[in-house]
This record gives sequence, structure tokens and C-alpha cells, in this order.
Amino acid sequence: MADALALIDANNFYASCEQAFDPALIGRPVVVLSNNDGCVVSRSSEARRLGIGMGKPYFQIAEQLARHGVVVRSSNYALYGDMSQRLMSSLEPFVAELEVYSIDEAFARLPRPRHGELRRWATELRSRIRHNLGIPIAIGLAPSKVLAKLANRIAKGDHRHAGVFDLGLEPSHDPWLEQTPVEELWGVGRQLSRWCRLRGISNARQLRDMASGELRAKAGVVGLRLQLELQGVSCLPLEEGPSAKRETCVSRSFSRTISDELELRQAVASYVVRAAEKLRRQRQRSRRLTVFARTSPFSPGFYSQAASAALPLASNDTAMLLRAALPLVALIYKPHKHFAKAGVLLQELQGEEQLQHHLLAPLSDEQQQRRETLLRNIDELNRRYGSGTVQWAACGLQPSWMMRRGQLSRAATTRLGDLPTAWAR
Amino acid sequence: MLPRSYGLLIGALRAERTPLRLPLASSTVAAGFPSPADDYIDVGIDLNEVLIRHPSSTFFLRVSGDSMVEAGIQDGDLLVVDRSLDARPGQVVVAVLDGAFTLKRLAHHQGRLRLEAANSAYPPLELHQCGDVQIWGVAIHVIHSLGRHG
Repeated sequence: MADALALIDANNFYASCEQAFDPALIGRPVVVLSNNDGCVVSRSSEARRLGIGMGKPYFQIAEQLARHGVVVRSSNYALYGDMSQRLMSSLEPFVAELEVYSIDEAFARLPRPRHGELRRWATELRSRIRHNLGIPIAIGLAPSKVLAKLANRIAKGDHRHAGVFDLGLEPSHDPWLEQTPVEELWGVGRQLSRWCRLRGISNARQLRDMASGELRAKAGVVGLRLQLELQGVSCLPLEEGPSAKRETCVSRSFSRTISDELELRQAVASYVVRAAEKLRRQRQRSRRLTVFARTSPFSPGFYSQAASAALPLASNDTAMLLRAALPLVALIYKPHKHFAKAGVLLQELQGEEQLQHHLLAPLSDEQQQRRETLLRNIDELNRRYGSGTVQWAACGLQPSWMMRRGQLSRAATTRLGDLPTAWAR
Repeated sequence: MLPRSYGLLIGALRAERTPLRLPLASSTVAAGFPSPADDYIDVGIDLNEVLIRHPSSTFFLRVSGDSMVEAGIQDGDLLVVDRSLDARPGQVVVAVLDGAFTLKRLAHHQGRLRLEAANSAYPPLELHQCGDVQIWGVAIHVIHSLGRHG
């Protein structure tokens, strides 16, 4: 029998992580807010049952949340990132191949046994992860990635499936595809779904069965692959291991708008520091850097500007990147504008192992090595004692525009000072 | 990309093991009689490997209170908890009781399971009487610091 593809993902991952390390939250409604405590990005099943909507701005529903006694948390990326890594490495022994697709979902390929049955495997995996990490997961099984994603949705949609649904064992896919609107298919964007709707194609079954020539004319080979996947022909390969990134971006909305040039400089500097850390972790260097800032698109007089500079030599040295980035701030800054967001994009990335043209190098090899050691030490101190332990003066002290994370839980799995308490009483 | 693991002994416990090699003399310490084997330094000890069998399901907790002192667990100790193990009677476990992580020993008593403290000042809890109790993980090591050093 052909291999099966599985889409394994965590239910309400952020809220589940919060509940896993704060036993006072077990069985209680919990919501997690996006950056800057903007809107709801994750809801525990208890919060979902209360009818709290996904993506709702916090300020609009703060009262409703308080009335129902909902626990509100800011996004705790240290915790979610660590739990994601634990989740993915826990899945590995259970599958032949694994593609980590996002922080809380992974595709897996596994051979289908002779009798075809994989439910027991999936149920066992699900209870293992629940037991070992305290995170509920759902598993969709099917002959292709697109169908696995669809099966996962079915697994989560009805509690009678107990978090597992195997489309591969269904006598006919038709009823399941018919109940799936085209908009909810993986790989169908807003444009394609509107095009489908105009042609009277509203569900996955209709899309699967439409004339392929027409689909090809609209969406090219991507459309054809989608259709084949819907027919159960696997044509999207599993991508193992994270591919080397070609760009890295760090950008944030401010907790309040900024009109002062110095403050904008400090904000950009702090994003450069973060981006440089990311590059060093990825063992990459950048050749080009872009700084951008904008006001709120919802207020009158919208302003958005970007400026870019090439680096003389590919670098992941914070000081070099700051030297290139800070003059750009003066170019994009405009007085009397209320900036709501800024960011930095590092481009033309290359691996650290790639040889550099030392003729142009401003530093001798020995100086270069000393700088690298210094940066490594700074990274280690920040990792060990929390980010911001060693700071760059360009970022300013105690900036007031910093992201609002008013209800942040502790880094319970990664920081010694933040460990949960085991009460011996 | 997620952060890579780091070679700290305890600070950042990660799914991936990062050995910290400490040189180990392979003979026991014997005063006044050097062993020729001491010339051959072994590969070293990785404390993560000693303390952690299942990295992705092992977590650290900080102990607060004195109810487990007779089990060698003291206030302020660092507890290594493996959530992948199934709790058996006799083991020290982290239980979820009244919305808090609580440290107890799981015990068989007159045919029933109960949670006991390791300090006579604290009464045992009969599991069948305390409603909803969840065993969160099994404590496998305790790290006790001997005061100021280094």
C-alpha cells in the first residue's frame, strides 16, 4: 500500500503551553494575545466554548473576558519555542520522515501497514504527547499533504473523532470534500477562492472534479498540483530540515506611536540587535540591509518609507550592521509623523563558511576572531540571563515604546529563575 | 528557526543533549598510592546524560517547603522531573492538587493509593478522597546546593 501522509498539529498551542505550566489554569478559559497585546491569537477549548472569537481586538472584548473570568496572557515566545522543539523531537521516533511546517504543526510520512489501519498508531502517539508534554494534538491521515491537512481539520472539528481522522480508510472521499469550503483548503488563497466561487465551485469536491485545463489557465502548475493532491495523488514532497533562509526580518508595532527621531533610532537599533542575533544563530551573514517605518494605515496622512544599504562585506556583527542601519533612519524619518511600526530586513544572506574577500576586510584576522568571541559571549550572556542582559547603547535604556506584554507568563522551561514551583507543603 | 541548544549545564535544558565534558580520572581516589591508570584520562562525564534520560519530556522545578525533607528534598532544591514515566508506588511525584504543583510520594496503603509527605508533620492524602488529582510527572533527581561555593 502507498505511504500515508499525516498532518500533526497542536490544539490551541499557545494556550495549551500556558496551561501545561500553570496548573491553576487547567480547566479554565485562557486566551493568549498577539504582540503588543493586540488581539486574541489562541484560545483554550474552555474559552472557545464561551464563544470568544479568534482575532478579536483585546480592547473590544476585555470586559467580556473579565465577566467570564477568562485568564489573559501575553505571547510568551520563549516558552512556546521551547515546547515546539520538544514537541517536534517527540514526534520523530514515531514517523519515518518529518517536515516541521510551523511552530505547532508538522507533516509526516509513514508506511501504511498491510491491513491499512493507522488509527491505533495515531491514538498512541496522541496520548504519548499528551502524557509527556501536556499538549493535546490532532492527527489527520490521507494519501497527500492537501488531504492530510483537510483530514486534520475534520479530526479537530468533531470531538467524536477523538483527535484522529484517517481519510485514507474512508470508502469515498466525496462527502468529506463536499463539506470543505474551497477557502479552507491548504494552498487556496483569497484570489483563487474568489475565482472558484465565481464559477460556482464552492467546495473541495467540485474543485477536484473541475476541468483541469481551466484550472491550469488560472493557476498554472500550482493549480494542477492542488487538483492532483485532492485526487489523492501525492505530488508535494516532504521538505525535511529547515531550508537556509535568504532573508531575516525583525519588525514590531510600538506600544504607542513615536514621533521623535532619537526614539525611532533606538527602536531600529534594537531590531538590528535582534536580527544580528538571529543571523549568528543561523550561522549566516548579510550583504544588504533595509530599514523601514510606517505610521498607522488607519489614521489620516499615512506615511511609509524604506531605505536600504549594501554592506562593504557580508557581516553578522551587530556593530557593523548598526553602523549601516542608523544613518538610514535619518533618511526615512519625517517630523510630525506618528510612527506605529518599524523594522529591519537583512538580505542577501550567505553561510558563515563562505569565504570572504579579505583584501577589503577592515579588520585583521586576529581582530576579527576577537570580535566573534565577544559577540558569542554577549549572545551567551543574553541567553543565559535573559535577553537585554548585555545591551547596545544605541538601543537606549528602558525604552517606553517597547512591545507591551503586560500579562506575560514565565519562561518556565528555559530560564532558571523562572522555574515553576513544586510545593512541598 | 528556533534557538539552538546551548552548552550550559542546567540553564537551558533542551530537547537536544549538549555534552559538557568534565575530565574523569578512571580510578578511585586513593591517598598516597597513584595508579598508573590515572595517566589515561577517560572521555568525561556529561551531567545532562547522567540526569536526563528523556530530554524532550524532562523539566526542572524549584522546591518550596519542607514536607519532603525525609526523602532528601529540601526547600530551594532543584527538581528534575520526567513526564514520560508512568508513576509507580514508592516514587516521588509532582501532582496537580488544588491548582498547584505539589510534591508527594505515591504509596500503596491498605490496598489503596495515596500521596504521602516525607515529614511526619504532614498527613497523607487518600487519593479516593481528594477527587481530581493528576500526576504531572515523576521526580527523578534532586539537585541540592551545599551553600556558597565557587
